[in-house]
Amino acid sequence: MRPLDLTEKDPSKKVTIYLDGKPYEAYEGEKFPVAMLANGVYWLTTSSEGRHRGAFTFGPVPVTVNGVKNINGRKLKVTDGMRIERQTYTDFQEQVEIDEGKPVLQYVVDVAVIGAGPAGLGVIKEIGGRLTTALIEEKGWLGGDLKLKGVKQEGFGDPKEALEELTELPENTRVFLGTAALGVFDKGEYFLVPAVRDDQLIEIMAKRVVLATGAVDSIMLFENNDYPGVFRRADALEVINVWGVAPGKKVAVVGAFPEEITAELDRWGIEYVVVPNPKRVEGDDRVERLIDWNGNSYEVDAVIMADGRIPDINPVTQAGGKLRFKRGYYMPVLNSQHRIRDGIYVAGSAVSIKPHYANYLEGRLVGAYLLQEFGFEAEPCVYEEKLKEYEPIARPLPRLPLDELSGEDVQICGCGVTLKKVDDVVKSGITDLQIIKRLTHLAMGFCQGRYCLFNGALLTSQRSGTPMDRLDIPVARPPIKNVKMKVVAGRD
Amino acid sequence: MPTRELPEKSEITIIGGGIVGVTIAHELAKRGEEVTVIEKRFIGSGSTFRCGTGIRQQFNDEANVQVMKRSVELWKRYSEEYGFPFEQTGYLFLLYDDEEVETFKRNIAIQNRFGVPTRLITPEEAKEIVPLLDISEVIAASWNPTDGKADPFHSTTKFALHAEEFGARLVEYTEVKDFIIKNGEIKGLKTTRGTIKTGIVINATNAWAKLINAMAGIGVKIPIEPYKHQAVITQPIKKGSIKPMVISFKYGHAYLTQTAHGGVVGGVGYELGPTYDLNPTYEFLREVSYYFTKIIPALRELLILRTWAGYYAKTPDSNPAIGKIEELSDYYIAAGFSGHGFMMAPAVAEMVADIITKGKTDLPVEWYDPYRFERGELRGQALQMG
Repeated sequence: MRPLDLTEKDPSKKVTIYLDGKPYEAYEGEKFPVAMLANGVYWLTTSSEGRHRGAFTFGPVPVTVNGVKNINGRKLKVTDGMRIERQTYTDFQEQVEIDEGKPVLQYVVDVAVIGAGPAGLGVIKEIGGRLTTALIEEKGWLGGDLKLKGVKQEGFGDPKEALEELTELPENTRVFLGTAALGVFDKGEYFLVPAVRDDQLIEIMAKRVVLATGAVDSIMLFENNDYPGVFRRADALEVINVWGVAPGKKVAVVGAFPEEITAELDRWGIEYVVVPNPKRVEGDDRVERLIDWNGNSYEVDAVIMADGRIPDINPVTQAGGKLRFKRGYYMPVLNSQHRIRDGIYVAGSAVSIKPHYANYLEGRLVGAYLLQEFGFEAEPCVYEEKLKEYEPIARPLPRLPLDELSGEDVQICGCGVTLKKVDDVVKSGITDLQIIKRLTHLAMGFCQGRYCLFNGALLTSQRSGTPMDRLDIPVARPPIKNVKMKVVAGRD
Repeated sequence: MPTRELPEKSEITIIGGGIVGVTIAHELAKRGEEVTVIEKRFIGSGSTFRCGTGIRQQFNDEANVQVMKRSVELWKRYSEEYGFPFEQTGYLFLLYDDEEVETFKRNIAIQNRFGVPTRLITPEEAKEIVPLLDISEVIAASWNPTDGKADPFHSTTKFALHAEEFGARLVEYTEVKDFIIKNGEIKGLKTTRGTIKTGIVINATNAWAKLINAMAGIGVKIPIEPYKHQAVITQPIKKGSIKPMVISFKYGHAYLTQTAHGGVVGGVGYELGPTYDLNPTYEFLREVSYYFTKIIPALRELLILRTWAGYYAKTPDSNPAIGKIEELSDYYIAAGFSGHGFMMAPAVAEMVADIITKGKTDLPVEWYDPYRFERGELRGQALQMG
C-alpha cells in the first residue's frame, strides 16, 4: 500500500506514472491528484503569482501530460507510463490538433434535471417514469454529496443502502454522468440545456428544468489557505470515501461544522485535531503546521475546511432567478411551487442547507409539482408537510478578522486574488460588488465566483456596514461551467 | 470615487457618466467651465463597463480618420499624464481575397493622407506579429502599429478623478427623470435626487439617448437604437501571446486580443435587437468559438470562462450624432457611437468642448451632424468593428 492508502487497491490495475520524471505507483482509472496524494505528494501546479497549489481547494490545476500543456489535472485519469509535468496557470498548448470535433448529440425530454444528488434523484423517483427525463450530473457518480458519506444519515440510515434504492431509475431516464451543464436558455417553446461530456457537446431540449445543482463548500479565510494540503470538505470526503485515500497522516479539521468530517475520520481511524479558529498555515510551500488565534501550533500535514456549505447560486442567477439572503447565505427566491420562474424549478441544497433526506423530500415535492403540471395525479402536499420537519440549517455569518490577518497571505479567490487586494478597494470607499469585481478580478476566474463571491460580499458588508441582503450580487453568465472552445466551436 | 450630492445649480450638465460623458466633463472642467455629470448607476457602468478595449485609427473616411488620429494623440497624452495603461500594440486586419485587399488599399491611402502609418503587409509579416495566427488562407493584412488598447473602466475612472480635480462634479446613482423648459430654454433637470438648475445640457447617454431626447421633447429624428452585442473571455494565458487587436471580416467580423490580465477577449458581428436585453445567448457562444478557432487554432484548447453582453447604440450609418440641437436652446448630443465610442471619446470631448466654449472646432464634427438623418444624408458606413 502507498503511504496514504486506506484500502488495498486492485493489483491488476497497478500502473506507474511519472511526475516531473519521478515514478509513482498508481492505479488505472484513478484520478491524478488522488494517485499523487496516496503517494504523499500535494503540490501539483503553480499559480500565476508563483504560489504552489494542490488540487483539493480552489483554483485550477493545469498540468502538462505527455508533452501537452494545459490539461485539467483535476479530471485527469491516469494510465500506465503517463508522464506529467507541473506547469504554471498561464502555460498553454500552442500547437494543437485540428479535427472536426465530435458531432453534437441532441435529445428531447419532458424534464431536464441538473444534478443527481438526493434532490435530483428524488425528482426522478417521484416522476416514476411517467415523463421522459434527462439526469445531468457533472461528477462520475449518482448520489451527489450523499455518495461521499460513510456514516449513517438522518432519515436515510446507511448511505450505501439508501443510494442503492435511490439509483434504481425508470427506463425512460436518460443519465448523463461526467456531464457539465453550461446553462439554461429559454427558447420560448422549450428550454435548451447545453452540456459537455468528454469534449462532446450535448443539447438537451426540455419542456421543464429542475436545478438540483446543490451547494458549495465555504472557503475559509486564513493565511496561506491555498497551500497544498488544504482541503475543501467535499474533496476530503471524496478522497476518503470514494478513492480510499487519507488526506494526511495527521489532519486538522477547521470551521464551524467539524462533526461531518470527524465522524468520517473516526470511521477510518485517521488521526485528527479539531481547531475551531485557524489563523495561519505554515510549511515549506505545503501544510506542515497550523496556528490558531490563541497562538497554539499543531503539527499536521493536511487541513480540512468544514465551515458549512452555501447554495451554488450560479445556475440560479444564470437561469434568471433572483436571490435573497436568509440564514446566513444567499438562496433563490421561489414561488409557492418551488419555481424561480415559469418552467424552472429548484430543489435540494440549491434551495437551502438541510440534511440529505430533506433534500430528497424536496426533490419528491418538485417531482409532484411537475406531475401535476403535466396532468398527472400527485400529492405535493404530503412532501410539503414532511419538509416542514426540517428547518434549514442556519450558518452563522463569519466575522472576518480583517485587521489582524496578514491580507497578502490570505487568498480570497483561487486565481491569485488576495484578501488585501479586495480589502484595499473596499477600504477606499467602493462598496459596489460590480466595481470590486472589475478592479480586483474577484469572481472573474475559473470558478466564476462560486468560491469567492460570498467572501467578497462578506468583506464588503463588514467594512461598509451594508447588510448582506442589500448588496448587489453579480449574476452568473454562461457558460456556468468552463468549457473548451473547441467543444462549442463545431458547425453541424 | 465619492458619490456627491446633487448641486443646486450647474452651468453645464452632462447626462450619462460613461467614457463619453466623463471625458467631456474632464475637458470642460479643464477649461474652467462649471460642469456636473449625472449618472444613474456608477461612473463607467453602462456600455463602457462591457466594452472590448480597442482603439483604432483604421477607418474608411476622412472625418473618422482625422478624429481618431487626434483621439490617439489624446489617449497617449492622458495615459502618460494620468497613469493608466494605453498600449500601442496595433490593429491587424486579416484579408482573404483580392476584393478585400482593394478596399483596404483605398482605406490605407486615406489613412496615410492624414498621417496614420497603416501599411499592407504579407501573411508572413502578420504571423511575426501574432505567431499563433493561422495564415493558410490569409493573403495580406492591414497593419497600423499606432492603434492600441486600453482598459475602459480604469481609464474612465482616471478621467473622472482628474475631472473632479478640475472642479467637475460627478453625481452617481441619480437618474434624470425630466427637463424643466420655459420658452424653448432649458432651466433645469428633475432627477431622482431632486432638481438641478442648469442652462446647458449634453446628452451623453448613448444607448439611452432616445429616452433623454424624448424627455427634452426633441422633434428632430435622431435614430439611435440599442443592439445587443456580446463578448467572451478565455482563461488567462502567457502575457504577450496576442498583442494587437486582430480582426477578421471573413470569419464572422471577429475581433480578438489579449487583456492585461492574460485572457483572450473579443466578439463577433452577431447582433440582436433593437433590445435592452443583456442576457448572453447560446448562439453567440457557438458562433464566437467557431470563428475564433478558425483565426487562432490554439484557442481550441482554452477554456471559456464567461460571456457577457453590452449595447451598441446604433445609427443607420454607424456614425454618432454629435452637435447642437437648435430647437431647444443649449441642448447638445454626443451619442450613437455604434460600437466604437470608447476609442473616440477623448476627441469627441474636445469637439464638444470646443463647440460649447468657442462655438467651433477644428475637427470635422459636421460629419456627425445630428440633422443628417432627417435630411436623408447618411454617411458612408463607418467601420463598425471592435
